[in-house]
Amino acid sequence: MEFFLQQLVNGITLGGVYALVALGYTMVYGIIQLINFAHGEIYAAGGYMGVILISWLFAQGFPPFVCLGAALVLAMGYCALLAMAVEKLAYQPLRQSSRLSVLLSALGMSIFLQNGLMLTQGVYDRAYPTEMVQGGFELGTVMISYMQCIIVGVTALLLVALNVLVYKTRIGKAMRATAQDKTMSALVGINSSRIISLTFAIGAGLAAAAGIMVGLYYGSVRYDMGFVPGIKAFSAAVLGGIGNITGAMLGGLLIGMIEVFAAGYISSEYKDVFAFIILIAVLYFMPTGIMGENVDDTRV
Amino acid sequence: MTIRVSKLWFGYALAMAWFYVLLWPLLGIKADGLEFGASFAIWSKVAVASAILLGLYQLKKVGAFGFVERPAKVVGKAAGAVAARVPTWVALALVAAVAVAFPFFTERYAHDVAISVLVYIILGLGLNVVVGLAGLLDLGYIAFFGVGAYTYALLSVHFGLSFWLCLPIAGGFAAIAGCIIGYPTLRMRGDYLAIVTLGFGEIVRIVINNWMSLTNGPNGILGIKAPGIYWWNGKGFEHMLLNSLEQLYYIILALAVFTIVAVYRLNHSRIGRAFEAVREDQTAAELMGVDTLRIKLLAYALGAVFGGLAGTFFAARMKFVSPESFTFIESAMVLSMVVLGGMGSIPGVILGAVTLIALPEVFRGFELYRMFVFGGVMAGMMIFRPKGLWPAKRMGARSEERE
Amino acid sequence: MKRALYLLSVLLLASFVVAGCGKKDEKAADAAKAGIKIGSLGPLTGQYAADGNDIKNGVLAAIEVMNPEMGALGPVTLQAEDDACDPRQAVAAANKLINEKATAVIGAYCSSATIPASEPLIAAKIFMITPASTNEKVTERGMPYMFRTCGRDDDQSKAAVKFMTDQLKAKNVYIVDDKTTYSQGLADNVEKLAGGAGLKVLGHEHVNQGDKDYSAVLTKVKAAKPDVFYVSLQNSASAAPMLIQIARMGIKTHILAQDAVYHPQLMELAKKDAEGVFLTFGYTDKETPSYKKFAAAYKKYGEPGAYSAYSYDSTVAYLKAVKAAGSTDPEKVKAELMKLEFDGASKHIKYKENGDSGSNYVIQVVKDGKFTNYWNPETGELFK
Repeated sequence: MEFFLQQLVNGITLGGVYALVALGYTMVYGIIQLINFAHGEIYAAGGYMGVILISWLFAQGFPPFVCLGAALVLAMGYCALLAMAVEKLAYQPLRQSSRLSVLLSALGMSIFLQNGLMLTQGVYDRAYPTEMVQGGFELGTVMISYMQCIIVGVTALLLVALNVLVYKTRIGKAMRATAQDKTMSALVGINSSRIISLTFAIGAGLAAAAGIMVGLYYGSVRYDMGFVPGIKAFSAAVLGGIGNITGAMLGGLLIGMIEVFAAGYISSEYKDVFAFIILIAVLYFMPTGIMGENVDDTRV
Repeated sequence: MTIRVSKLWFGYALAMAWFYVLLWPLLGIKADGLEFGASFAIWSKVAVASAILLGLYQLKKVGAFGFVERPAKVVGKAAGAVAARVPTWVALALVAAVAVAFPFFTERYAHDVAISVLVYIILGLGLNVVVGLAGLLDLGYIAFFGVGAYTYALLSVHFGLSFWLCLPIAGGFAAIAGCIIGYPTLRMRGDYLAIVTLGFGEIVRIVINNWMSLTNGPNGILGIKAPGIYWWNGKGFEHMLLNSLEQLYYIILALAVFTIVAVYRLNHSRIGRAFEAVREDQTAAELMGVDTLRIKLLAYALGAVFGGLAGTFFAARMKFVSPESFTFIESAMVLSMVVLGGMGSIPGVILGAVTLIALPEVFRGFELYRMFVFGGVMAGMMIFRPKGLWPAKRMGARSEERE
Repeated sequence: MKRALYLLSVLLLASFVVAGCGKKDEKAADAAKAGIKIGSLGPLTGQYAADGNDIKNGVLAAIEVMNPEMGALGPVTLQAEDDACDPRQAVAAANKLINEKATAVIGAYCSSATIPASEPLIAAKIFMITPASTNEKVTERGMPYMFRTCGRDDDQSKAAVKFMTDQLKAKNVYIVDDKTTYSQGLADNVEKLAGGAGLKVLGHEHVNQGDKDYSAVLTKVKAAKPDVFYVSLQNSASAAPMLIQIARMGIKTHILAQDAVYHPQLMELAKKDAEGVFLTFGYTDKETPSYKKFAAAYKKYGEPGAYSAYSYDSTVAYLKAVKAAGSTDPEKVKAELMKLEFDGASKHIKYKENGDSGSNYVIQVVKDGKFTNYWNPETGELFK
């Protein structure tokens, strides 16, 4: 039982990170039907911006939590700008082309950004100031670190904020409208190009937050850190039903859990195999994912 | 006119400002203070270069290069007319002659790159059957390559079977693997298919990596034999292994030619038309009496066969296989060749393979900038030629283009 | 279609011309500066870039030191190639080095790249001296020009098991590796030897290369409460998150790692969580004149990594042999290399018939943010 609970805590932490990254995939997919391969790199850029800003702010003598908060906000903004630039440069000119062309352009951008990070930040791992958040507490026999609490807390906060944005505001309404029908929403006066940019920006902001928290959790970032979580998060988005926001959150949590429990109870070397087998099985019986795709207006 | 010009330069200024905002934090924020020199140096170079390009573009639009363009157009037209008059077989013979003569003019390194290009041509053409013809997006194609490579590796090391015997066996195994992967995906469409094939590709790699008793895991398999032939040495037939790069080049050239002919014939066969029908409109195809499930499975199996053949050769050429050669990025590479070259077009895929394998080698001089430039060029090529370098000629639009 | 075919043939012809010209230029360049060209092979990009760059820098430092001594044979130049630890790229890079007339190649890092790359190199009679590939198979294939300056996995695992039983008095051990030729080979050896030495193996888990989340495995380790936790990972960048998570989980046990983890980066990333970690590493006396010479030449590249000194020594050994032979003729150089015996920066170097140079593993410990010699398996005593 203790073992189970401990793995549950680990799974929720990991799943929260996947969920944040998966949202970016799902929102972009929902609005322009593109698997945005460069999204993993945005997440890595977020991780780097985090360490750059935290070290600088820390050196200026700000208290740790101010550093953390400010770095989080600034890095999210930075990644939003980055993703918007990528969209304008590599995806917008291809709006009328075959979807595979855009996919390839995204793949090219992914290689480009990853190597751009390598050239500017070096090939070595960059250390995060992990001493800022140390320790944890024991709940019964289950060890919960403060870092895990921060990850779960920030993730939950961002998810709530996203839900409010999408469902309670005019912008959210415009996003949902654009996702459903670009032509019609343009007719009623929505600037679809701006909405697409905005979608990229929001997805990137969430990924940046995930990147920073992963950096703090594991203690380091590297330029190619975005690739594997990118694939996992994309699987999570598909598992939940791509284009569906609630689905992406659920899918992220599920993939995190499956991974941790497969590693804990079955075999850590085959944990990714289990994640993929479950994904395939789910899709075999529910071809549009758990929550389904485009069933109502939840598609963004 | 002036309004448009100023708008363009306003956009340029905005883009450059944006670029600086993105570049500076990466280079300029350091724990010991803020710094602007390094980022400004890079930024100013990019800004000047893009300003020159933009200026040239505008001049071209205005027609300032008419004095070059017009004669060039005339020459191009004339060359086209000449080309149209000479029969196709002359051109084909020319290409063939160049391909056959290639090793005599070049050095080792060029042979090595040429062999890689030919291996990827086979892979690209195989994937083209699945993606280009049948319209099924496959992100795990490299798994079949792996199945082929491991089949030959194991049969050669444990049973001493020859390369030539293993070619059809590996093709067969790959086809079976193709059916296994294809079957559960038949009900899915579009991007769900993509993720499931990606998942299968990863599963195959992870299993190869972990099934120690069969595949020796990450250590890979050593001591695979090169292809052998019987050779007349004056007294009698003698068995010899084709170890040198030139010999291997001719073997893979032969395999590539076989693949090109096979795919070309397939394109123009009943099955090929059925593939296209499924791609364009599955429901309509079914109404016309095409057994869509069987056709899709067949597409997977046929595509996989070529992957298996290429894999067999790969194992024989490297004399060593390990799971690291079959990662997702390789699948993405092969898919890139198909899309970059032009989906469904045989010469396009060949051109795509040449570009994507030769480019990183050409860029080797850039050292660390190699993949950076490569990624940028890849995205750039898609933006300027979204239909691929050499698009297939077709009637009507494809389904995914209309979406 | 037709026009395109012509285009293709013209392109191919053009590539000939380019290749031909390239050839000519090369010859002209060769005539201008004879000298010795050394190639280096290693992952300059990707996950293991840190170690690949160490190897390259070690060669550069050695060239700088040896160049004045080479006289008429010089100058020595380096051509560094990137293999990204990928067998295919390693073979391509090896062929490129053959083309560029390198006479020796220092590398590669991953055993899985070294082995396939050695085939064309050795066939072309080019020396391959690996400073980092510890897998047994590297030198056990009867390759005449294959040498190894670092130790071997089988010797390393012996030292590890001896340390666990004799010094730590452990009764049981939990093993984790990350499934590379190197890390798994080592972990398997330890598991095999542990049985004979009376150590109970509580579990042997594998994580995937490049994983950063070890929480599931560590939860198991915590529950098993082993006396020693043997961590066999491919490099320091994957070991650092492991150590951070071990500390965070509150696992209190001896941790024993291996030589790939040796890198100043480990302390930089894991900080105080790296404190007290043991590792097996080739014994290096940092007080010898040759180490100091190396350290001085290496200074501008930063702190030496795990394989910097080995890579330096490999280059020095080759150049010494060339100098003694008076030419780069492979046969003569090989004869000299077999005779060669000198005190290198890493250890006393004397190549054996199969190309190995022997192992001298000791146990080091991370103490006050530094790798410090701790225990010598030869004598069974602590270092002072």
